[in-house]
Amino acid sequence: MSEKDLGSSNGQDISSLGFDSDGILRLEWTRGVVIDAPSAQLAMDRVNEMCGGRPTPLLIDMATTESVSRAARAVFAKRCDASAIALLGSSAVDRVLANFFLGVNAAPVPTRFFTDDEEAVRWLASQGHDGA
Amino acid sequence: MTAPDDERRLEELVDGIVVLSSGDLSNRLQVSPARDGIDAVTTGINLLADELQSMYEELEVRVAQRTALLEAAKAELRRVINTDELTGLASRSLLQEKVAEAVAGAHGGRQPALILLDLDSFQLINDSLGHAAGDTVLREAALRLSAAGPGHLIARLSGDEFAVLVVDQEPDAVLETAARLGESLKDRIDAGGIAVALTAGTGVRLGEPGLRGEELIRDADIAMHEAKKRGRDTLRVFSGAMHEAAKQRVHLVAELRTALAANELELEYQPIIDLRTGKIAGAEALIRWQHPDLGLLAPATFLDAADEAGLTGEIGHWVLRNAIAQTGRWKANPGIPADFRTHINLSPADLHHVDLAPFIESLLVGHGVEPSHISIEITETAIMRGGPEVAATMQSLNDLGVRIEIDDFGTGYSSISYLRALPAAQAKIDKSLLDGLTTDRQQEEFVAAILQLIHSAGLGAVAEGIEDREQADRLRQLDCEFGQGYFFSRPLSVADMTELLAGRDAA
Repeated sequence: MSEKDLGSSNGQDISSLGFDSDGILRLEWTRGVVIDAPSAQLAMDRVNEMCGGRPTPLLIDMATTESVSRAARAVFAKRCDASAIALLGSSAVDRVLANFFLGVNAAPVPTRFFTDDEEAVRWLASQGHDGA
Repeated sequence: MTAPDDERRLEELVDGIVVLSSGDLSNRLQVSPARDGIDAVTTGINLLADELQSMYEELEVRVAQRTALLEAAKAELRRVINTDELTGLASRSLLQEKVAEAVAGAHGGRQPALILLDLDSFQLINDSLGHAAGDTVLREAALRLSAAGPGHLIARLSGDEFAVLVVDQEPDAVLETAARLGESLKDRIDAGGIAVALTAGTGVRLGEPGLRGEELIRDADIAMHEAKKRGRDTLRVFSGAMHEAAKQRVHLVAELRTALAANELELEYQPIIDLRTGKIAGAEALIRWQHPDLGLLAPATFLDAADEAGLTGEIGHWVLRNAIAQTGRWKANPGIPADFRTHINLSPADLHHVDLAPFIESLLVGHGVEPSHISIEITETAIMRGGPEVAATMQSLNDLGVRIEIDDFGTGYSSISYLRALPAAQAKIDKSLLDGLTTDRQQEEFVAAILQLIHSAGLGAVAEGIEDREQADRLRQLDCEFGQGYFFSRPLSVADMTELLAGRDAA
């Protein structure tokens, strides 16, 4: 995994962002993060920057996310360069958060919640995007 | 985590839901690091609360926006309702509202007064110069009234009718304001390149304690109509007698409607004599109302009421129908002289009917009467104020072969050149001109000059109101061709007139 360190003060909510060997762009939120609209926008900008305009499968590790504000969910509902998004979590809380997003906001691209990393990768691979 | 711990967390969750359900949607429940089922429920509830709160807030913003829009629309609607579009003055509805407020607010103190102004002959401006010029005149009149009555509510009620509400002023000051308003209109107004001088009939109602708003408006209206009846540029202050008269008129109007249907109207005929031969040359049909309670009424007592009731046209048709039918009956029996004419008076309203000539033609045909046996009398004022429609009607009557006579000649302001251009055959000089004819040398010269004027315009002359032989002789000497009046005969019933026609050879 060719990870890109995001230690800048603006990106503290994101612990890592980079492509894995399958060409999947992986975004990992910092433990216990509270995602609001600015941090959502920043993450989206970073993702787009990495994709450089190419439709790219995106896997977001959202385990341990504390909360996602309504305004942040509105940001995620905007179209970005991601061709499909797999939301990866582990707990029942993650599942509620993810599905709440899926249920309330109409996602612009195919989006699903997974508790298993491999399953998420398989699903992304099946979504028919341009491999990076 | 132990079971008792879970129980405590569940209790906290329930407490949190209770707070949320009480309406405090800003409350959020604590999620534990365990991220277990209880935390998932807690998170879900937090998210739902967040969603609900946002929706409420958005809804409130939207309601506020919509309410503001609605208020603005209401204010605009009120403005439209309260404003006269053409002049920007207050509308009738705003005046009514303000009058009611003023009456309610006056208590025992100075009572509000209402001034109504109705422009004189405004219809003439509209008809002759067009509606655009008419609108210009109305806007200018509005500006002048606003300048002459600053601080008062000024409204345009309809067409050429304006109202000024005066509050908290002594009667003298109200009358001064009324006079000033009337004066303000008199400077010439440029209407489409033509300078127009305006006057108005003004009615004033001074308020009285206990008088209701609608009564104030009604009474000012009565006073204004009284002013209009007395001629141009007249101001009248309402009195109780006016109200009585108005009430009687309303009563009369109602009765007149039934009178038409109940055949209570009838015609009398006043013989017209050829002064040169002393023979009967025609008869003027004069309308009478055989009122069930009041007896025989002369037209002066009910024609104004007919006008107000909009019955003038109907009565005009009734007169034409009956007078022409009667002429047909006389023609058959006992027969009429070859140059006999039945004279029929028509009102200005009748002359505005474009179908008048065809209507008369159909009556003539129906009753077998030649057009030359009919003479239509139209007052000088009606002709002068009539405009192009009246001129067209006169022309078509003339083309039909019906003779046209200018009634009340010398009481209006006919221009001499106009007199020549009219398609009229005769002019009837008003009886007021005969006063002093035989005693005052100057008056005789004056009548002689008028007759000469009529003759030089190519018209024949009829003198009405001849009361004695001296007048008849003098008129004959002055070459007046025809005459009528009590000296010859009062107006006669159909039976008497028939008898007169039957005995004419014997006479």
